Order: sequence, then C-alpha cells, then structure tokens
Amino acid sequence: MPGGDFHPFFFVVIAAWILICGLGVVLFRKIVYSAVSMVFCFLGVAMAYALLNAELVAIIQILVYVGAISVVILFAIMLTEVQGDQFTLFFNRQTVFAAPVAVATCVILAVMLVSSEMTGVGEASLNLSVRELSELLFNRYVFPFELVSLVLLGAMIGAIVLARGEGEKR
Amino acid sequence: MNPLDWWLLLAVLLFCIGAFGVLARRNTILVIMSLELMLNAVNIALVAVAQFRAGSAGAGVLFSLFVITVAAAEVTVGLGIVIANYRAKRTVQADRFDEMKG
Repeated sequence: MPGGDFHPFFFVVIAAWILICGLGVVLFRKIVYSAVSMVFCFLGVAMAYALLNAELVAIIQILVYVGAISVVILFAIMLTEVQGDQFTLFFNRQTVFAAPVAVATCVILAVMLVSSEMTGVGEASLNLSVRELSELLFNRYVFPFELVSLVLLGAMIGAIVLARGEGEKR
Repeated sequence: MNPLDWWLLLAVLLFCIGAFGVLARRNTILVIMSLELMLNAVNIALVAVAQFRAGSAGAGVLFSLFVITVAAAEVTVGLGIVIANYRAKRTVQADRFDEMKG
C-alpha cells in the first residue's frame, strides 16, 4: 500500500501526540514550557514522517527542527525573557478574535477536505530511495537547490547583522 | 475517508492550532514558534500527498525539504529581529512595538 500500511493505532497515537503538544505550545503561559512542548511536537511530526515511509524527511526533521531550530529558539528565550512581566497574561482581547477565526478556518478546511474527491489516491506510488531522491535533487531540482543555498547565506548574514546591533563597533 | 484524508485532517488541525497561536499570543518568540507549527503542518500535508499519490516522483518529499530549509532561515532572521527589538525596547511583547502607530 502506498504511504506505508495505514496503522490506525499508530496514527491515532502520533496524531494525539502532535496535537496535544501543539496545543501546549500555544496555551502554556510560561514560554519555556511552550518551547519544550514544541520540541516534543517536532519529534511527533518526525514520527509521522516515519509512519508515512518518508525516512529521509524524518531524519532531516530531527536534525533541523529538534536539533537546530529548538536550540536557536531556546537561546532567544534565554537572551530576552523578562522576569515578572505583567504582559504575560494569556487571555487578552486578541483571544476573543483569534479563537473564532482559527476554529472557522479549521471547519472550512475540514469540510472542503471531506467533500472533495481526489483522484489517483491509493494507487501504487513509487517509494523513492535516498539515492533516487538525490539524483532528482541534483538534476531536475538543482536550480531551487542553489537558490535555497543563496537564501541560507543571506539569512545567515542578515541574522548576524541584526543580532549584533548597529551601535556596537567591534 | 481513506488514509490520506486522515493525514490531511491532522495537518489541518495542526495548521489551525498554529494560526491561533500567531493571532492570539503577544510574545513575538511565541509567534515565531506558532509559525513553525504551521510550516510543519504544511510539510505533513506535502509528504502525505506525495506518498499516497502515484506519479509525484519525489516532488513532495523534496519540496518539504526546501520548506524545512527556508523555515530554518526564517527562524534565524526572525529571532535576530526579535533580539534587536529587545535591545532597543527591553521587551518582546508585540503590542509594545508601536512606534509606527499613527
């Protein structure tokens, strides 16, 4: 079966893991708890990729998200957290507008999803190995690959310039 | 509902959780974290569709790798802006950044 055999048990466990940790990210009042919850959410997403037979994406998810992005975000929290800031109240007037918008988006997308009829689902999809994927990456998709390297270079320089500050001449 | 629909439903739910975080929270670091949740949801949808449909020829998997790369770049620049703002204003709360209020 394409996309791996669908194990309802594993799917439910991983989906519950991802959604509970995701809710933790947006609902925890202390931002460090949110960050830790985010790390577990990223781990759950990596498990979802593994369940989908996309091993390469699962490994890169763990490397990049669980390894790198979480550390960067934790560093930013440590550099900026203000103790006893009175603006950490969670339920503010934005919540009143944000909750209906999010729920409405969710309902609209879910209704679209259930009512749509996608063709070609469940046909045998070729499950590409890492070798075949890298051949695709360096032949057909070599232009976006190079473009992404430029984006990363620009982001690196930009982050250094922004975080160093203008006033400090070293 | 076939298995692909369940995976896409999971992606929709995670996307909306992230959207709620972006809209409702005022801490700019938390807004960036919620943005990451939304990008992860999109990645789940990309990989699920790629794995369940014939003839996608690895495009979904490779595109999700590009999304991950661009998300990493976005996080570094976003947190750089947050730290620069923190230096100037000693706060990370979005409603305190009101210099351009007319």
